[in-house]
Amino acid sequence: MSEPEAQSVLPHEAPLPPRVDLVTAAVFFAVGIAIVYASWRMPTFYEQLQQTYTAPGLVPALYGIVIVLLAIWLAARAIGRGALRRGDERTRAPREGYSNLRLALATALCLAFAVGMVGRLTFWLATAIFVFLFILLFEWRKDQPWRERAIRIASAALIGGGTGAAVVLVFTRLFLVRLP
Amino acid sequence: MLEGLSQFGSAFAGFMTPGTLFNVLWATFLGIVIGALPGLTATMGVALMTTLTFTMGRDQAILVLVCVYVGAIYGGSRSAILLNIPGTPASACSTLDGFPLARQGLAGRAMGISTSGSWLGTLFGIVCVALFTPLLAEAALSFQSYEFFWIGVFGIVIAGTLAGGDPLKGYIAGFLGLWIATIGQEPHYNYHRFAYGWADLSGGIGLLPALVGVFGVAEVLTAMRGPAYRVTSKAVDSILPRLADVWKYKRTIFRSGAIGTFIGVLPGLGEDTAAWSSYAAARRASQEKEKFGKGSVEGLMAAETGESACVPGAIIPVLTLAVPGSAPAAALMAAIMIHDFKPGPMLMIETPQLFYQIVAMLVIADMAKLAFGLTLVRPLLWILLVPRERLMPIIFVLCTVGAFAITQRVFDIYVMLFFGLVGFVMRELKFPMAPLILGLVLGELLEQNLTRGLVISSGSVAPFFTRPVSGVLAAITIFAILWSIPPAQRKIKAGVRGLFGRGRRPA
Repeated sequence: MSEPEAQSVLPHEAPLPPRVDLVTAAVFFAVGIAIVYASWRMPTFYEQLQQTYTAPGLVPALYGIVIVLLAIWLAARAIGRGALRRGDERTRAPREGYSNLRLALATALCLAFAVGMVGRLTFWLATAIFVFLFILLFEWRKDQPWRERAIRIASAALIGGGTGAAVVLVFTRLFLVRLP
Repeated sequence: MLEGLSQFGSAFAGFMTPGTLFNVLWATFLGIVIGALPGLTATMGVALMTTLTFTMGRDQAILVLVCVYVGAIYGGSRSAILLNIPGTPASACSTLDGFPLARQGLAGRAMGISTSGSWLGTLFGIVCVALFTPLLAEAALSFQSYEFFWIGVFGIVIAGTLAGGDPLKGYIAGFLGLWIATIGQEPHYNYHRFAYGWADLSGGIGLLPALVGVFGVAEVLTAMRGPAYRVTSKAVDSILPRLADVWKYKRTIFRSGAIGTFIGVLPGLGEDTAAWSSYAAARRASQEKEKFGKGSVEGLMAAETGESACVPGAIIPVLTLAVPGSAPAAALMAAIMIHDFKPGPMLMIETPQLFYQIVAMLVIADMAKLAFGLTLVRPLLWILLVPRERLMPIIFVLCTVGAFAITQRVFDIYVMLFFGLVGFVMRELKFPMAPLILGLVLGELLEQNLTRGLVISSGSVAPFFTRPVSGVLAAITIFAILWSIPPAQRKIKAGVRGLFGRGRRPA
């Protein structure tokens, strides 16, 4: 099963370190086992049709088994590529311009909007607050002069309010769609 | 033939009203903008617009979606040429030669090549739709459960093998999608699988919230994590396509159109694979190989023609087999079903007018795309200048509205969020997303036909392999799996070489 190097089909695809693949395989192995176990516990309804081909757990169990087998294949391949080899831990070089802080902030804001605000506030207000905060936080610079900062805050508020109003008008009046 | 032409004519004439043309214009423009903006994809555009147009008349709603789809695949080339960032994954290939051309001061010429290649590619694909859809639909009428089961498995395997990246991860994503499709009420006893008393989950996972999550929310997070983009070329020369370019590369256009359409027909592969395959074929056949990657007109023409020909190609299996040829086609298929049409072999019998209408819609969308391609250079440049910090929160709000709109359940917003986060993590781990979505789409077809086939054959699996079409599909599927295992692939290649080597020896 061992291969010298992972192959990538597309030029923009770079392979992951084998250890990451090994951890991924472990997760999918657990998911597959859980699917098979949950399917096994489902009733078969044999008494109704005197056969088990339509048992509710049959097809998901089949998928679970395939996922387990594929996870074992992925794990074996990762080990073959050196996932367990000491001193051969290939790590990905950090990509220029990528920021996990920005990712965490965006995720937190999106979750706060979709889980915290939608359904609790009027939709236009929730939208306005979300868009305003998103722009404000991502465009915030420590060394910004106050005049420029005030302009940015005002423009964020304007875009937020405008988006809230536009979304409500366009979707409820034009597309006749109900909003959350 | 004549009856077909007359039906196509009446479908075309039916769309020639001011209201319809207005819808064509704004929808195609919106599609181009969605395609041009990095972080927004054709799939997200079609999925979002499906939810927002479902109160419209069904002809108009499907027309809008076809225009968004056609426009978005074309629009991606703008950012590929001007920013070196593909607006949609389909345009990744166009960056290879589009951006070098722009840096040489030929951004306008590159956009002209992109416009002419894309227009001709879609036109080529439309001709294939018109010619082959009725034939394939007729053939599919003889398919039984065994054949439909293998079509489902073949779709997952071929999408995993060829969707780009790691085939093994493609299979895992595909089977995960198939399992997700089993969540909720099952078809035989109405038993609630994997719901654990949660009423919302008993209804199953909606395709559109999942699509919006995987292709919308995950894109928002990816865009916010990545570096900001900058327009590097604001000076644009003449964008008028040169007839000389088209004539000189007519063979490339024809070849790329054929490859793009064929890849479109294969389940779940999509426009990015079509573009890369067309590009690779053009490079192999080119007299100017050394120019590829450095601003080759032929390379850009091949990529654009291939990806745009894939759009009509991906609609062929939707209409004939109820199997999407690409991720945006999956969203389009969901829309067709929401509007009470039944994609599949019976479509040509029950609602043949939809087939002619879709051909007419594609032609109209292609014309609108050409018109915008020749006129909308400056406005698109301004749109590309909108910073992502201002665009992405608005996109997320639209995703939320889109996920909620059809069933009006807040649960669907949570589904969107879940799929967005899972989709983002899986992408980072190099899992292709097309097989996951294809699994979700094909889950019902696969399960129903597997159980029905087993019941009919009293549990025997033999008919799944012994019926002629089933046998061929099974053989191709097994071959595709073996091909993705490197040692097996090497043995197959050695075997083929040995076979031909022996064949050449004198007796």
